[in-house]
Amino acid sequence: MVKKKFMLVFTPDIVNEPIVYHLVKDYDLRINILRAEVREMGGRLLMEVEGKAGSIKEAVRFLNEGRVDVQELTNYVDKDETRCTHCGMCISICPVEALTMDRSVWKVRYDAEKCIACGMCIDACPPGAMKFRI
Amino acid sequence: MKRTVAEINEKIRSGDVVVMTAEEVIPYVQSEGVERAAREVDVVTTGTFGAMCSSGAFLNFGHSEPPIRMQKVSLNDVPAYTGIAAVDAYIGATELKTNDCGYGGANVIEDLVSGKAIRLKATSNGSDCYPRKDIDTFVSLSTMNQAYMFNPRNAYQNYAAGTNSSEKTLYTYMGKLLAGYGNVTYSSAGQLSPLMNDPTLRTIGIGTRIFLGGGVGYVAWEGTQFRTNVETKNGVPMGGARNLATIGDLRGMSPDFVRALNLPGYGVSLALGVGVPIPILDEDVLKAAAVSDEQIFAPIVDYSVQSRNRRPIKHVSYAELRSGKVELFGKEVRTSSLSSYMKARQIAELLSERIENGEFLLTEPVAQLPEDRSTGTLEVRSREEAV
Repeated sequence: MVKKKFMLVFTPDIVNEPIVYHLVKDYDLRINILRAEVREMGGRLLMEVEGKAGSIKEAVRFLNEGRVDVQELTNYVDKDETRCTHCGMCISICPVEALTMDRSVWKVRYDAEKCIACGMCIDACPPGAMKFRI
Repeated sequence: MKRTVAEINEKIRSGDVVVMTAEEVIPYVQSEGVERAAREVDVVTTGTFGAMCSSGAFLNFGHSEPPIRMQKVSLNDVPAYTGIAAVDAYIGATELKTNDCGYGGANVIEDLVSGKAIRLKATSNGSDCYPRKDIDTFVSLSTMNQAYMFNPRNAYQNYAAGTNSSEKTLYTYMGKLLAGYGNVTYSSAGQLSPLMNDPTLRTIGIGTRIFLGGGVGYVAWEGTQFRTNVETKNGVPMGGARNLATIGDLRGMSPDFVRALNLPGYGVSLALGVGVPIPILDEDVLKAAAVSDEQIFAPIVDYSVQSRNRRPIKHVSYAELRSGKVELFGKEVRTSSLSSYMKARQIAELLSERIENGEFLLTEPVAQLPEDRSTGTLEVRSREEAV
């Protein structure tokens, strides 16, 4: 079993498709929806997916065929170490504690594994060290 | 035990000086006692690295051919104040670039300190003695005659922590404050912060040589909104009280300690590193310098109250603030710092090293800062009421 994070982006015409149902039923995946939004331009779904590596691969193919843009999230947010002053402004902002203060050296640690790409830290970082990696 | 600044400088020159940071000295005084520790320790170094909006730099560009008396100046499209002599200007940290709220005077200052070239545009009406009407060129620290910071308000002694009781996120100079008391932000290096360690300014005054932005600076004056009438606990004011006006050459500063900040919804500010050495003249000075985060308190105020009279919700110690969470109305609320404790520590350590290496001598104040000062408010008044 492997765990991966994906951002699914879909156009308004397929918003009514029960995508998650298919992922669970047809590919036997455990889905944890981290963020979902539907706007006039379409929708975005951020999910953590757990399942067999082969099943995940097939599910991605299924999504691509269904005109869903799938991006795997690895290090979705970058922390620019040359900009970061380790003030810790981001610490109380991050909803999943991907950003924490290492109190032995008073440095901010960023755990990309925990990040759900919510973007809360981006405009909360005064020296501008946190950026979306796109 | 009595010691003079001259005696300390003698020890610095001979390489015998004993220096500790304001953090290192806490356990030392606890284990050795004030009396013994005061005999050993000559200097305690402090440091802080936080947003200091009231900062800026005076620049002299040199004269063009033919010369111009600049009446409007911009640096990378950030307006600078030039209502002084012909080619002098002051670039303030919070001044914003036209049509861009993410780049401002603080960025210009950081870029200058980083050695970058800055686009200078100036216009004038022209005169008999200064005929030129405009100029568009590039300047840098190596082309300018003078470039020195003059900061009206730095190194605040203490500062209120912020929270937000409202239902929407607030974007403030204290950072992003989440709705429904979602977080608490604070901005002081606490036990490392310069004016926390000499709370009545016995050793710090006009002319005191300090660490400023990585280089050397001096205390120029009392800072704006300097006040002494603030309630104290353990000898330390429980809110914004004293602060310093500082001056120092941009040349010699480092972008590690001069960093532009963007606070969306508020604007641009400058994070600046300030470190002050405290000469241990007697036991009382050391006792004050050994203050710890457990003994220093800050009020938490609600920034959704749009008034200058924000009543503190409660007072909490810096030990609590720095632990990562504080208790508010029976609920645990996460905390964030706007000032960097890591950098504050680095500054105190760097200053210690410079003193130990004989590169930084201590000074006696030329004059003391006010012992008794309160601040007034701005009211809408008539001409008669204002005098």
